[in-house]
Amino acid sequence: MGFLSPWFLAGLAAVAIPVYFHLLRQQRANPRPFSSLMFFERSTQSSIRHRRLRYLALLAARVALLALIALAFAGPYILRPVASSGERSLLLIVVDRSFSMRAADRIERARQAALSILSARRPAAPAQVAALDAQLHLLTEPTASAAELAAAVRSIEATDERSSFGELARAVRALADSSGAVVELNLVSDMQQSSMPPGFSDLALGPKVRLRLHPVAEAAEPNFAVESVVAPAAIFDPAKVRVQATVSGSNSPAARLAVSLVAAGKVLETRRVDVPENGRATVEFHSLAVPYGFTRCEVRLDPADRLRGDDRFQFAVERADPRPLLFVHEARDNRSLLYFRSALESAQTPAFRLQPVTADQCGALDPARFPVIVLSDVEALPAAFEQRLRKHVRDGGAVLIAAGPATARRGRAPVLEEKVLESRYAARAGERFQTAASADPAHPSLRFAVGWETVKFYQAVPIEPAGGRVVARLADGTPLLVDRALGEGRLVYFASTFDNIANDFPLHPSFVPFVEQTVNSLGRVQQRTSSVVVGSFVELRSSAEQGQAVEVIGPEEGRALSLEEAARAQSFQLRREGFYELRRASNRNEMVAVNADRRESDLAPIPQETLALWENTAEGNPEAAVEAGAVQRPWNLWWHVMLLVLAAALAESLVAVRYLSVEREVA
Amino acid sequence: MLQRFLDPKILASISGLDLVAKTVVDGFVAGLHRSPDFGFSQEFAEYRAYAPGDDLRHVDWNVFARTERCYLKRYRGETNSQLTVMLDASASMGYSSHGITKLDYGRFLAASLCHLAGQQRDAAGLIVFDDQIRQYVRPSTRQGQLSRLLHAINEAEPRARTDFGKPFLHFQQFLRRRGIVAVISDLFERPETVLKTVEPLRFRGNELILFHVLDPEEISPRLGEPAILVDMETGRRLEVSPEYARTEYKRRIEAHLRELRERALAAGVDYFLLATDRPLDAALREYLTIRQGRM
Repeated sequence: MGFLSPWFLAGLAAVAIPVYFHLLRQQRANPRPFSSLMFFERSTQSSIRHRRLRYLALLAARVALLALIALAFAGPYILRPVASSGERSLLLIVVDRSFSMRAADRIERARQAALSILSARRPAAPAQVAALDAQLHLLTEPTASAAELAAAVRSIEATDERSSFGELARAVRALADSSGAVVELNLVSDMQQSSMPPGFSDLALGPKVRLRLHPVAEAAEPNFAVESVVAPAAIFDPAKVRVQATVSGSNSPAARLAVSLVAAGKVLETRRVDVPENGRATVEFHSLAVPYGFTRCEVRLDPADRLRGDDRFQFAVERADPRPLLFVHEARDNRSLLYFRSALESAQTPAFRLQPVTADQCGALDPARFPVIVLSDVEALPAAFEQRLRKHVRDGGAVLIAAGPATARRGRAPVLEEKVLESRYAARAGERFQTAASADPAHPSLRFAVGWETVKFYQAVPIEPAGGRVVARLADGTPLLVDRALGEGRLVYFASTFDNIANDFPLHPSFVPFVEQTVNSLGRVQQRTSSVVVGSFVELRSSAEQGQAVEVIGPEEGRALSLEEAARAQSFQLRREGFYELRRASNRNEMVAVNADRRESDLAPIPQETLALWENTAEGNPEAAVEAGAVQRPWNLWWHVMLLVLAAALAESLVAVRYLSVEREVA
Repeated sequence: MLQRFLDPKILASISGLDLVAKTVVDGFVAGLHRSPDFGFSQEFAEYRAYAPGDDLRHVDWNVFARTERCYLKRYRGETNSQLTVMLDASASMGYSSHGITKLDYGRFLAASLCHLAGQQRDAAGLIVFDDQIRQYVRPSTRQGQLSRLLHAINEAEPRARTDFGKPFLHFQQFLRRRGIVAVISDLFERPETVLKTVEPLRFRGNELILFHVLDPEEISPRLGEPAILVDMETGRRLEVSPEYARTEYKRRIEAHLRELRERALAAGVDYFLLATDRPLDAALREYLTIRQGRM
């Protein structure tokens, strides 16, 4: 016997109330005055008899009433053996339709195996068909209709998703609990090792599930795959592009393979690569001549093997001209321009074309034309330009501010309008210079800036971070590099200059990656990737684009979103291999290449011992429990206890009436 | 017929203590048989043989001339006695189980005795006491004495504890003439102590009557269930079972009464137990019997 809400048993303490009234209160009631007690004495006999349970029946009824009420609220139950629900069983056929089932004729063999299971079942026995990839998809309701079940099996096709046996176990456990029937699970799969969950305990199916495994794959099929491709998402100079592909083999012998770079269906370059046994090899292509706009590219293996899907790796690139970068400087400061231009042109992927302008000439410029604007130690900006610039940043623009003596004279940082804390010079007698003591290497500006800590800073013009992220500090704690959001846009404040006077940073190798990564980060150049994995989500709209329509064109050239989804959906899951075109609200078009999870490329099956263990797991084999009739269910006793409460209340009323009359007579 | 007016419950319904006393005494007197021993309006009372020490002024020389014997002629005025009523007004006298408290009963009795004494031209006085003397009215036959007595009796209220020692010590100082002393009390004290306290009065030639007033419930308590009894004088509480009240208490109270009676008899003190549910005539008869003995 157990209790559903055992905390209510604390209500049993209320039993003390009638005991108090009967035993204690009764004694103290009605003291009677008497002329003299000289002939009385404290009698032991009296005391004992006084303490007896005077109204035993009434007390018992009241105690029982309160105890039963507390018991009823505690929700008592007993476990009763269920009359062999083993007769009610459900045949569940699960067919694996993950990416690896595309290999050779695995999916067809799986369908045939499933049909043979259906034909072998008892005709009246209910059955259900489901398909497994990343999730379990129930294709039919429990039914005895052989035609319906067979049609469901025949409709199963391989997908591009990976399978998960852990997800299968979780879903089947839930199905067994909700249906109340014993589930005879028949799993038809290639039993891929990579589909196993991290822990064997995640495969537990529960006491009401009987597992039968039907492998459809031969052991250890060799397979080659293009595992990954590293390519830029945007190309500004085709001659500087480098595409790196990794070819892997699983259960495979050493082989020499031809790897081709294909763009828009045209083979641009083919290289031969020697792949070691069960190993990897890397291939590099040093050019990618593609036309302007988005181009569908892929790296392809020749010859193709039994699993053709992973013999190519798709990626999308966008060919574009470098975008304009406005560099605002004081007329007398040409050194900053020189160093910054040199660094920008030396970048591996020069995404920006520098457009210099002096501070007094920028009044007529529209900041919205420039994805990134650099303010290099400017003292005064035209008020109209600065106002437009501030609005542009709030709308999503980006600004890099370098602060030096001119900014210190201005007293405030441009755009930010933050007060300059001080103009700090390193004293000649003492420190001579300062270095960057702490830096956040995860920030894009410093990610590739090797040797940043050896830069000597002679002057710093810091501002209060005021909620911004301090990326780097000098040795004395002065904020050197601050990344701060302003509305939808971003600002990066560099508390020194690019002129090789306030510091020697432009002479260091780390200056070029610093400039390249900073402007790329501000211009959102590196935020796109050339390819993603099946099952990934892509964000469709930002907070400023709510309510505006977004279009997604799938690999089959059809619209992937309904009209309502196009207007409201925040994200979209990419569930198939191929190229997706995204037409965003701000007329920005994007192309996303989607590839299957390469874990599916490893066709190594689960060892037979593990499969046998899973199949014969004690919890997964309910036969013993069902046959012994040991399946028990809680049986709630609430109503029975409430009937007893009613009886106790009735008894209490009858007895109380009797005693009340006696008390009246005595009084 | 008129005896019914002596029922304490009926007396309690009569307002005015003087009216109560008059009712009691008139009813009691009207019910007596005529007897030569009892007269109220004769001037001459009796002749008594002379004894050495008697005042020669009271010798009836006419009788001596005829018989040559000396007789003393006694007149009514000379036979008047002095009654002192001692009324216990302790807290325990406030007990009642049937509508009339012991103090009420004592008041009726004291008032009736005073009224009766006044009719017989006896000097009557009053002492109200508990653990000390609360009220004292000097015995006198002056006009208005009865009113003073009744007023003092009426003002007696139950309070404090009974302590025989202190009031009786003072009382002996007030007692200058021999007479009758009527003590009205519930005598919740050890018999030895009670008699030891009142005996000195007897030694001075006083007639002493102990009117022991008790409630019938005190003599034979009827408890239907266990109860907590509170001592009215001390406030002490005690759990009492019906069985104890029926057996042990009754045995003890009877022993107490028996010892009181025996010790009083031995000391020459008249003891009379009065239950508050009984008529008052017996008490008055007791007084008159003693009064007759002193004539």
